Amino acid sequence: MKCELAQEKIALAVYGELPDEASPELDRHLAICDACRRELEAVQALHQAMYLYPVTEPSANLLARTRLRLEDALDTLPRQSWMVRLAQNMLAGAGRLRTAPVAASVLLLLGIGGGAFGGYHLAEKRAAANAAIVAASNEDLSSAQIANVSSIVREPDSETVEVSYDRVVPVKMRGSLDDPFIRSLLLAAAQANGDNEIRSNSVGLLAAECRAGHQCNGGPVRDALMVSARYDRSPAVRRKALAGLEPFIAEDMRVRDAVLEILMSDGDPAVRTQAISVLQPVEADSSVRQVLHTVAVEDQNPHIRNASQQVLSQLPEIQ
Amino acid sequence: MELIREAQQGSRAAFDTLVRQYDAQVLRLALHLTGSEHDAEDIHQEAFLKAYRYLGNFRFECSFYTWLYRIVTNLCLDHLRRRKSRREEQSILVDSSGEEIDLLSNVSDERPGANPARELDRKLLAQKIKAALDTLTPRERMVFELKHYQGLKLRTIGEMLHTTEETAKNTLFRATRKLRTHLTELR
Repeated sequence: MKCELAQEKIALAVYGELPDEASPELDRHLAICDACRRELEAVQALHQAMYLYPVTEPSANLLARTRLRLEDALDTLPRQSWMVRLAQNMLAGAGRLRTAPVAASVLLLLGIGGGAFGGYHLAEKRAAANAAIVAASNEDLSSAQIANVSSIVREPDSETVEVSYDRVVPVKMRGSLDDPFIRSLLLAAAQANGDNEIRSNSVGLLAAECRAGHQCNGGPVRDALMVSARYDRSPAVRRKALAGLEPFIAEDMRVRDAVLEILMSDGDPAVRTQAISVLQPVEADSSVRQVLHTVAVEDQNPHIRNASQQVLSQLPEIQ
Repeated sequence: MELIREAQQGSRAAFDTLVRQYDAQVLRLALHLTGSEHDAEDIHQEAFLKAYRYLGNFRFECSFYTWLYRIVTNLCLDHLRRRKSRREEQSILVDSSGEEIDLLSNVSDERPGANPARELDRKLLAQKIKAALDTLTPRERMVFELKHYQGLKLRTIGEMLHTTEETAKNTLFRATRKLRTHLTELR
């Protein structure tokens, strides 16, 4: 055994980490090498000396103070993951709107400042006027689409019944993407059941608004994109929503947490890959690094494992 | 394991019980590593808030202790890197009010037979050792702290720091070499 190797093993031996099978060889070397015997004594002395800076138990006051502070912080957090509550609220709201017939019936004519978007008319300038109805079906009740029958009551001893139902009236609304009502329609469409294309279109428009810096600070649009990015059943919609969240990754911890959750949990590799890309401005954050470490080891997709490892290897502070 | 599952399902009481099982150890580690009650409190707070936030991601792929300490060691490493970049003078301990604990102060000792000179020597040595520890890189410091002062196995330390046992061994060896270089006058 050479001295260089022996000295590495001496440090391990002093700390009880030398494998049993390596001890005899080290002992034989120490029996014939004065320099390494002195090395062993030096490391043992160091081992003892380091205890002169002892570990102290936290005082009872410190422990109590710390526990109290943590309890106060936990008490102010929502009882449930805010993402889950947000998703529940949004999906419940969409259900109340009965968005399937709404999505099928409402055609949106939107003013967009440049760029093509298949299936919709374009305007050259962003419309500043309030949204206005441009078309609606006539008020013939018998031809109106029935959305929901909520009660049927037959009058006693009679052929007469009273039926309560909801009526859906197709409407075309034209307005600016900045118009609050247009926004609310887009938000409702983002949670629409059944039609992937409607959700894809609305999420795409909302995401484009956020990337262009138009009125996405806090509020329902950012929340809707987070819910869509996490819970929409279409990977294409989830990716569009992720793209819309990119401008906020550095400033908004909720967005960062949502994207981390997506990276850990999304079933689609393309979505997870995009999440890594979205996280790059904040890759030095400790919680981001922790998730990247986990993904680099545990993700089922080798490309994603490699991508995570590449991001980690480029961080200057990793030793 | 049942306790963890309950906490994952939203039981605050279960999470509080989990905290009580580990928080003194976490605080002890953070206090020795940072030398500051204030910084130790911050690390404790942030670690358990993160554990609360990400508990749903724990899938029992390792022990809860390892999972929690991954969070704690990441926060400790962040602290060590920030401190190194600020080049603070860290050879002095501070209490929670920010007052320096003067290791050179001649503390009166009422015990019969107490030796003030020896007490002074001991404090000076502690100060020197802490200064030597501060010459280590954050990762070397972390490995040494967990091995020497917290008594963990290098394999466990590797898991906590997302590296291999072999890398942890090499890091420990480098740390001991550096410490010896800075503390030769103690021999």
